[in-house]
Amino acid sequence: MNKILFTALFVAISLVGLTQNKILLVGPKVHIGTGEVIEQGLVGIENGIITLVKNSLTFPYKKEEWDTIIEAKGQQLYPGFIAPNSTLGLTEVDAIRATLDYDEVGQFNPHVRSLIAFNAESRVIATVRTNGVLFAQATPRGNDITGASSLMHLDGYNWEDAVLKVDDGIHLNWPRTLAGGGWWASSSQIKANDKYTDQLKEITDFIQAAKAYAEVGKSRKFDQRFQAMHDIFKGTKRLYIHANELKQLLDIIEFCQSMKIPYPVIIGGYDSYMVTEQLHDAKIPVMLPRLHGLPDNEDDPIDLVYRLPKLLKDGGVQFCLQNEGDMEAMNARNIPFLAGTARAYGLTEEEAIQSITLNAAQIMGVDDLIGSVEPGKVATLFISKGDALEPKTNQVTTALVGGDFVKLTNHQIELYKKYKAKYSEEE
Amino acid sequence: MHTSRSLTVVFTFFTLVSFGQLPVPTNGVKDSKAEIIALKNARIIVSSEKIIENGTLIIQKGRITQVGALVTIPKGAVVIDMTNKTIVPAFIESYSNIGLQDPQKAPYNPRPQLESNKNGPFYWNESIQPEVNAAELFKVDAKSAKKMQEMGFGIAITHVQNGIMRGTGAAVALGNILDHQAVVSNEVGAFFSFKTGNSRQTYPSSQMGSIALFRQAMYDAEWYKNHAKGAVNLSLEAINKQKEGYLVFEVDDQLEALRVSKLADEFNVQFTVVGAGNEYERINKFKDKKITFVIPIDFPEAYDVKDPFVSRQIPLSDLKHWELAPSNPYFLAKNDMEFAITSKGHQKASDFWKHLHLAIARGLAPEQALKGLTETPAQLFGLEDFGTLEEGKCASFSVFDKHPFLHTDATILESWTLGEQLILNKQMVMDIRGRYNLNIDGDIYSIKIEGSKSKPSGTIQFIGKKLDSVTNTLKNDTVNGKAFIAIDGHDVSIHFNLHTEKQNGAFTLHGKFTEKLGVFEGQGQLPNGKWARWSGIKNEKPDTSKDKDAKIVLDTLSQRMIWYPNMAFGDTILPAKQTYVLRNATVWTNEKEGILKDANVIIKDGKIDYVGSANFSIPAGAIEINAKGMHITSGIIDEHSHIAISKGVNEGGQSNSAEVSIGHVVRDNDINIYRQLSGGVTAAQLLHGSANAIGGQSALIKLKWGSAPEDMLIPDAPKFVKFALGENVKQANWGDYNTVRFPQTRMGVEQVFYDAFIRAREYEKRWKEYESLSPKQREKQNICPPARDLELEAMLEIANSERFISCHSYVQSEINMLMHVADSMGFTVNTFTHILEGYKLADKMAKHGAGGSTFSDWWAYKYEVNDAIPHNASLMHEQGVVVAINSDDAEMARRLNQEAAKAVKYGGVSEEEAWKMVTLNPAKLLHLDDRMGSIKVGKDADIVIWTDNPLTLNARAVRVFIDGESIYDYQTDEIRRHLNREERARIINKMLDDNQKGNPTKTFVKQKVKHWHCDTVGETAE
Repeated sequence: MNKILFTALFVAISLVGLTQNKILLVGPKVHIGTGEVIEQGLVGIENGIITLVKNSLTFPYKKEEWDTIIEAKGQQLYPGFIAPNSTLGLTEVDAIRATLDYDEVGQFNPHVRSLIAFNAESRVIATVRTNGVLFAQATPRGNDITGASSLMHLDGYNWEDAVLKVDDGIHLNWPRTLAGGGWWASSSQIKANDKYTDQLKEITDFIQAAKAYAEVGKSRKFDQRFQAMHDIFKGTKRLYIHANELKQLLDIIEFCQSMKIPYPVIIGGYDSYMVTEQLHDAKIPVMLPRLHGLPDNEDDPIDLVYRLPKLLKDGGVQFCLQNEGDMEAMNARNIPFLAGTARAYGLTEEEAIQSITLNAAQIMGVDDLIGSVEPGKVATLFISKGDALEPKTNQVTTALVGGDFVKLTNHQIELYKKYKAKYSEEE
Repeated sequence: MHTSRSLTVVFTFFTLVSFGQLPVPTNGVKDSKAEIIALKNARIIVSSEKIIENGTLIIQKGRITQVGALVTIPKGAVVIDMTNKTIVPAFIESYSNIGLQDPQKAPYNPRPQLESNKNGPFYWNESIQPEVNAAELFKVDAKSAKKMQEMGFGIAITHVQNGIMRGTGAAVALGNILDHQAVVSNEVGAFFSFKTGNSRQTYPSSQMGSIALFRQAMYDAEWYKNHAKGAVNLSLEAINKQKEGYLVFEVDDQLEALRVSKLADEFNVQFTVVGAGNEYERINKFKDKKITFVIPIDFPEAYDVKDPFVSRQIPLSDLKHWELAPSNPYFLAKNDMEFAITSKGHQKASDFWKHLHLAIARGLAPEQALKGLTETPAQLFGLEDFGTLEEGKCASFSVFDKHPFLHTDATILESWTLGEQLILNKQMVMDIRGRYNLNIDGDIYSIKIEGSKSKPSGTIQFIGKKLDSVTNTLKNDTVNGKAFIAIDGHDVSIHFNLHTEKQNGAFTLHGKFTEKLGVFEGQGQLPNGKWARWSGIKNEKPDTSKDKDAKIVLDTLSQRMIWYPNMAFGDTILPAKQTYVLRNATVWTNEKEGILKDANVIIKDGKIDYVGSANFSIPAGAIEINAKGMHITSGIIDEHSHIAISKGVNEGGQSNSAEVSIGHVVRDNDINIYRQLSGGVTAAQLLHGSANAIGGQSALIKLKWGSAPEDMLIPDAPKFVKFALGENVKQANWGDYNTVRFPQTRMGVEQVFYDAFIRAREYEKRWKEYESLSPKQREKQNICPPARDLELEAMLEIANSERFISCHSYVQSEINMLMHVADSMGFTVNTFTHILEGYKLADKMAKHGAGGSTFSDWWAYKYEVNDAIPHNASLMHEQGVVVAINSDDAEMARRLNQEAAKAVKYGGVSEEEAWKMVTLNPAKLLHLDDRMGSIKVGKDADIVIWTDNPLTLNARAVRVFIDGESIYDYQTDEIRRHLNREERARIINKMLDDNQKGNPTKTFVKQKVKHWHCDTVGETAE
């Protein structure tokens, strides 16, 4: 193959579709994702895997050994950002029921899998990856146990080639200790949930039964639900527990210890800053609530949510960011700016980057594959002209998913170009 | 209390008119009744100003003919001795629905009901029912009346508590009397509220809708009175009649009371406001407006705070209200405000009195309490026959065993209604406590009776077998047993068990007690079933030293801590205008000077006094702030906000609700005001939602945290109205039942606009024709003015460019349409808000003169935003459209500075121009750029100091000024956080004390405030 030399400035688009065997990215400031930085780095990719991460000023390389070389000096290279706990790909237009594929009927649905509903061709996804968010954990919503999530690459022809980890974990909505909240009411009334104990027992009973099933294995009559739970107890699947309230968190810690759940993860954890010691001791990581969220309580400090990453870091709790909430699918493109907010409120820049890369990968158990720019990892990364955590400077010029160049456009950019052209013609 | 012992020597002769004096046929010979009743030796509380310590009260035909210390009892009078008793004028309940049935609500129907289902010549809306007259519907309810009599009430003003205009009340005497005797006054007061009651009509669905409907009905009535010919409308006739009398408005909180006072000014009437108990929060406002209140005293119970996981859920506002609510009556009295007290919210007399005593303990003088329960309501409702026990008044009063306003253990004994006595409790006539020798059938036992006077308990002593623990044998010894005692008048029953050699089992005794001698005598039954005489002689006086002093103890410590607003992050004082010199900052002027480095800004008298880097003189008394390394900008203005609104952001009941105004329902206690200050927002347009094509009028506010709603409104602000297009307007996402209201398609939306504007022009024409005639011509030609139509008035203001449109819009087709409608009607669409497809017709918008206020990057939430692109702001900007970036979201509004940065990212707008999109441009769109939006000498000092370039995430607002007042600063915020925590802890400790005393508690219920967007519908006015 002829050698191709490019400057990373949107031109990489023309490479889309070409199979690139050996790609060398030269000169960008490399945010490794482990906390380390190479000011002028050198990142080599072979067959979709990162093979070389060096300092370009000191490491001699031969241009002729590479099929494609991209000069990106002055720019910044990041591991692909991750959108954990997301309905991205499972929904298209919030108000149109026909496009919603994340909420199945039933109380216990561990057998339900988000994977097969994942729309790799979603127009929403196309607007998300252009900001550097290159993974999403497609996650079902619903009642008590909502189903299995899968970790997806945000580029692919179908879910089979987009998936990075199939059924990475089962999602459990912990019963709320507070109840109430009407949909239409001007102010809804929140009070103690007096059914909490009963609801908790239902869940405990189910999980106990699933655990017993797992212990016996195949000698039992096949049960779809329990079978889906099986790997939770083996430790090859995560148990993601969605909860925010103080009592919930303490109960979860106790529950996971008594049930001996190998890898529990808390998603939400609004009150987690109050029990960092316990979470640290129990080694339970937290996927924090959307940082661009209002405090839950009138009396809470205004910036409490912004400061959660710092509070958890100081408390020694492993955490990452996610953005569940209103319009979460389309809003996934703002995940870099959630990390930027974490930086503004106490994390270092590299810690902020980790909170949407390596930390998330570790929590999901895929850090052997992704999460950092290190040799041996999947080449899903991007280059931004400026600081990718700031809206003003987040300008993705090159993105790779599994070593393939991502087409950095979407229908929004096309419409922009179309009307920009319309007006310039008029002039 | 002032005591009078003056002699009543002058006999006044009254025409004795008793109630129900007209003959009514009776079955048999007419009832026999005492003609004259004399109550003597009583403490008579004649009024709040006069007490007769030992007086006589003469009743004749249901009225008081004489009252005084030296009254000669007429011959033929039945004399009742009232020694040690206190007579109190009957209380008057101002807010009641006793004897009236709640109107039935029609069954729920998912299909909207647009028109009134009430038959007859009545108003077009079912929540306007002024024609309802309580007296016609009243039926005596002796059981409920007794409950109120037990509290001390003798009269109630009852009305049907349904709807916005509820009709007239009736004053009814409480007691087991006949219907035709009970109503003592007809058409007493007219009653109002903001609640739509049992109406299922879609309009009004919000509080602002209720206010607009109230206003329209009032104007309709005025027109009807002066100009209506032909068709009769009983509702309007009723309003006109009622306006002459007493008007009573029930509210849910102090904010609504402020709204009522505005309505009172508008219609030049006086409302008595049935308050909510938190009037103290804005007491100065009410004092200035001289509002009379009827205040409830159903003070909140303490929360159960024993579990910290639970107590942390309780907002500080609730905690503070719990502490301060009992002081509410005191605050009103202290401010010389007139008020009546209502028992509203109380079922049990004991609770009512507990709360009344609590209010007195918090500083309300007993005379003021009495006055609020008697004289003030009598005066308010024109009940001349009631309120005091002066001669000539009706004999309606209560009898207590003690002065009930001074003693917490006072018991009500009797309730007299129109001269009819009702015994409620028997007085404890004797004190049997002491030690006695009982002689039962010849055997002597000792009994000790102690405890309280009304509920004594006894211990019986006898010689019986007892186990000796040393020798482990049974020995004869003195044994104590419990004796159970019940008293009924002079009768006493005692029972106890004995285990002696002679008697083994239960004694049950009944006898009479003679207090003077201290002697019992009676019959009883022995354990063996034998009947025997028994007697008892007192040989030791009781120890009464433990008798509780049930006097009220003043506790005024709790009155100190009102915050503005009375919640977390509130403050005890409001900021004042000061002179500031802000030095050495990077100043984003938004003017031709651009971004100045190392510049200084002076704030003086609420305005910007200087901007620049030249030499300047420091004004006297200036506070200097070194802002080196920081950035100074004008405050962010949010063109599209829905915070700080009470009870409904949408009046979606009709397709056109131009008559409603957010300005009527601004609320000051939304924490988001404070939160947004921390994001540098200083002003906002509070918009109506987008549930209908023509929404409501906007409120333009400054985020003056701590101020009352009216002080947050920007003075002389330009007028705005919300329009809307698209899916919300045609109810596309409202489910399968909402397919009735016109329009259901974009085609229909256009016609809604044309219809409204054409009617507005016709309305204008009618007025012009009318105004062109001289009064003589009008009379001659018999021409009356058109009826005022609030909706068309607003439409006309729009058509005449006196009110500006902010139109919720997405898709280019309908945006184009509205510009055509406007062009053909001769005005300009001021702003398209959201305007997500604005980029497709930015050239047309620029030509028309419309601005665009958009989201930075929202999309994918419904079908009509399919083509939304984040480059929208930049494309519109390039075409010369004035572009703002707005929030429509309480959360995002805190970081609009970051949203502006996205205009740099998507489409490459310069930083300076991007910054204008959240400051100067919205000021332009709101026609406020002559006083806001840039840092220019003479403009309002709405200024933010940022730690960094405001377009970055690192930038934090450290100081925020509004009109030169330091309204937010980072350090004060830190202090407030501590104060919040300390105040919480202080009150929770107090609550815990209360919990430990075993007082009733409630489990927490937290009001979760919804954050409204345009699309939020279904708010009820309830």
